[in-house]
Amino acid sequence: MKKLEEVFETWEAVIGLEIHAELTTLDTKMFCGCKLEFGADPNTHTCPVCLGLPGALPVPNKAAIESIVLAGLATNCDIEKHSMFYRKNYMYPDMAKNFQTTQGPVAFCMRGHLDLDVDGPAARERYRLDDLAAGESDGNITRTEDGYVAHVGITRIHMEEDAGKMVHVGGGEGRIAGATHSLVDYNRAGTPLIELVTEPDLRTPEEARLFMQKLRQIYLAIGISDCSMEEGSLRCDGNVSLRRRGAEEFGTKTELKNMNSFKNLHDGLAYEICRQAEVLEEGGVIYQETRHWDPSAKRTIVMRVKETADDYRLFPEPDLAPYDLSDAFIERVRAKLPELPDQKARRFEEAFGLTAYDARHLVEHRETSRFFEACMEAAGDEAAKLAKPVANLVINDVTAYLNAEGVALAATPLSPARAVELVRLQASDAISSKQAKQVFAAVLAEDKDPEAIVEERGMKQVSDAGAIEAVVAEVIAANPDEVARYKDGNTKVIGFFVGQCMKKMRGQGNPKVINELLARRLAE
Amino acid sequence: MASSQTFGSMSVRAIQAGLAAGEFSAAEVARGTFERIGAADARVHAFLETTEAAALEAAARVDAALAAGRDLSELGPLAGVPVGYKDNMNLLGTHTTCSSRMLESYVSPYTATCVARTLEAGALPVGKLNMDEFAFGSSTETSAFGPTRNPWDLDRVPGGSSGGSAAAVAAGLVPVTLGSDTGGSIRQPGSFCGIVAVKPTYGVVSRYGVVAFGSSLDQVGPFARTVEDAALTLNAISGRDELDCTSQEVAVDFTANLAEGVRGMRIGVVPAFMDAAGLTSEVRDKVAEAAAKLEELGAELVEVELPNAQAAMSAYYVLGPCEAFSNLARFDSVRYGYCDPGHKDLGGQYEASRANGFGPEARRRIMLGSYLLSAGVYDKYYYPAQQVRTLITQDYARAFEQIDCILAPVAPRTAFRFGEIADPTEMYLSDMFTISINIAGNGGMSMPIGLGAETGMPVGAQLVAPAFRDKNMLRVAAALEAVYGPAPVAPDFADGKAGE
Repeated sequence: MKKLEEVFETWEAVIGLEIHAELTTLDTKMFCGCKLEFGADPNTHTCPVCLGLPGALPVPNKAAIESIVLAGLATNCDIEKHSMFYRKNYMYPDMAKNFQTTQGPVAFCMRGHLDLDVDGPAARERYRLDDLAAGESDGNITRTEDGYVAHVGITRIHMEEDAGKMVHVGGGEGRIAGATHSLVDYNRAGTPLIELVTEPDLRTPEEARLFMQKLRQIYLAIGISDCSMEEGSLRCDGNVSLRRRGAEEFGTKTELKNMNSFKNLHDGLAYEICRQAEVLEEGGVIYQETRHWDPSAKRTIVMRVKETADDYRLFPEPDLAPYDLSDAFIERVRAKLPELPDQKARRFEEAFGLTAYDARHLVEHRETSRFFEACMEAAGDEAAKLAKPVANLVINDVTAYLNAEGVALAATPLSPARAVELVRLQASDAISSKQAKQVFAAVLAEDKDPEAIVEERGMKQVSDAGAIEAVVAEVIAANPDEVARYKDGNTKVIGFFVGQCMKKMRGQGNPKVINELLARRLAE
Repeated sequence: MASSQTFGSMSVRAIQAGLAAGEFSAAEVARGTFERIGAADARVHAFLETTEAAALEAAARVDAALAAGRDLSELGPLAGVPVGYKDNMNLLGTHTTCSSRMLESYVSPYTATCVARTLEAGALPVGKLNMDEFAFGSSTETSAFGPTRNPWDLDRVPGGSSGGSAAAVAAGLVPVTLGSDTGGSIRQPGSFCGIVAVKPTYGVVSRYGVVAFGSSLDQVGPFARTVEDAALTLNAISGRDELDCTSQEVAVDFTANLAEGVRGMRIGVVPAFMDAAGLTSEVRDKVAEAAAKLEELGAELVEVELPNAQAAMSAYYVLGPCEAFSNLARFDSVRYGYCDPGHKDLGGQYEASRANGFGPEARRRIMLGSYLLSAGVYDKYYYPAQQVRTLITQDYARAFEQIDCILAPVAPRTAFRFGEIADPTEMYLSDMFTISINIAGNGGMSMPIGLGAETGMPVGAQLVAPAFRDKNMLRVAAALEAVYGPAPVAPDFADGKAGE
């Protein structure tokens, strides 16, 4: 099978996403008063409504409507004031009524978009990006200095209810094949779910991944879901098709499921694009089918062939009156909209002089952006001066530590004050960057202030030119052969001299000063 | 003390007067009612299940309160009154079968709001009443548990789908029952059995806990032998219910203007209804006579047109089956209800259970709805039917700009004999005068106006009210009651007789 970049020489991939988010931060289900709780004993959060018992009727959860309007406003959607619920009819035991209550042609949120900053390695997936000059546009992308911005359309976000959970017993790995029987847990039945559908505007797996990441950041910022891809509260299906470069018409698409992490989303789509290219290049045809990404086998497998479109017999839900949202309601929700990641990043750039790249990475997680802001507050007058090194510390060291340890930042001994103190010690040349890394590790391991650690370990960096001068002279005098080599043009030996000086100073010499003095003396 | 045979023949007021005066206890009312049902229902077959324990428990509460010196009026408008429920209404711990094999073994884990409200009003719940299977029918012949018979002539149908609810009152088994009406299922059996039968405006009574047939058409209402009893029952069951978001706030005392008479009221007569092909002369004559009586009483008769009403039947047989198809999808043998044994695959179990659990009329409507909603067909039927619905609703709204109430026939004929109508589409015509009112959502009721000259069977006049002005039709009904007298118990069941 060809590699993605080879495939892109001939083929253009067209990708659209369908992203389901459970509104896990609500107290109760979509159409009844049952509690929302992940991991409760099976069928303990049920009632006549979510069990679909004869005679039961739905009552919409107003807080869920507020959540979806919030999601729509945060993704630049038009909020439809007049929309309706529909019944999607299909029979399966996880859906007790045998129809799912969802929305029809008009959803609460329509016609939105998100702009993705694609740069660094992610931008390299885009075919012949370098044909564009900075500021130049092609289709939905605009070239930037170090990548491009992709404008991705959002068709709609609609409200629906989740199904119950099926557990197949007796087969392998909980799969239905070979199972002796199946159990249904209706605790999840009726969980409020919002489904966002994108336009087929994505062209690379990286764009799909970045879209999903950005959407997740937004949903977390507005607080409507815990967005756990592992627990399934954020789920993504991808529709992928190929067409020859330059062709207008879409190819036949497949629907990809089970991409339950950002990596799986990227790798699943990349595999599927390469698979389709191979089939097409061998003269085969793509069938409209649902495929399952198997991350361990690193391939997609057929789940279900759709010979004809499913007929869900959609019709307006007669038990729920058409929904009319007032301007006052929409404005009330708009007022609850917090600062969104993009806005926060722009503020960081402007207030602290950060680069766009640093600002974007800081706002990727709420805890890191909050921590950064707390650091800036702790830095006081020095905020602007320390912003860049603090951002580096947070983006690199802190993030790496949190990922490696799997802990929350708030649960570590690293306070904003300690972080600022550490950065200040390094910025004032009191300690070297190497020492700073040791102090960082020690703060986390020993729960002590950086100053105290530096003191305890006698780590003070010697930057005093006089003290260093003496050591430099000593080292030069003791190594005439190396001096000769340096003078012959082998300037790399300066590393040897720095090492010797450092050794004599027990690692506490300021490497910058040592370098300067060495260069000056050797040039004499 | 009143004879045990007579409680079901008494009015709500008469029972409550007896209780208040200490002539009999609520427990005696309950026991007497069950004795009466035991003696007479074998011939009528109105009841599918009687609920002695629940009724005696409710009676004990009433008796205890009276013994403690409380006034009966404090105990609720139906205190001590036996009430029966159509078997599509959930009552905790009792069967809710909808007269279907599919739900033969189903026991309700909760109580419908309309039922709960009668209980809160002090009613004694006596049992569950026979109906057409899932309310699909106009004769109660589609019940999986055998038909109910018309107390006026046991060879004739009681109408349907709420046939059991109507027959139980007409036979003097209980003074009040509840039924549901999707296309005429309260009014038509009310007419066939010669009693007062009210389908209020859509939204007046909560549908929560009533097994749905056509969600946008279904409405619950009372059967009684007097207009006042029906109005008292409506007072108890009506009003906003947080569990049904189509229910409305109803701050009306339905008994308030029963005595006002019809002088000055403008009553609409629809020529297209009175001249309809298929309307028998005996029914037309009685309705015309009722119109004349109202005019004599000082009402003004006004001819009104409902230009789109003739399309109601077509729209109904699109919308009704579509909603029914979806509402009945939950009966799939997986969690409750009939399960065809021995299947190893889900699809096979679904198919066999639904094929064998549902009767022919239920299957017909499910298949019809499934077809009408399918891709390519939906646009041709469902959408136009909704447009027709809007037009008919506008027709009624426009007509009610100039009138207070409409007078019309309920059914084209009096009760027919068992088996007389075998063709389903001919059976559907039983509802030709009632369906447009469900389509528009207005309140409608059947008021007994004597017996047909040819068949000697009861004839009902249909009164139709503007939306949420149900008291208008009750006021006209009370005037007719003053002329024709309260609905009698069917002769063979009067004075404690049991239909022999």
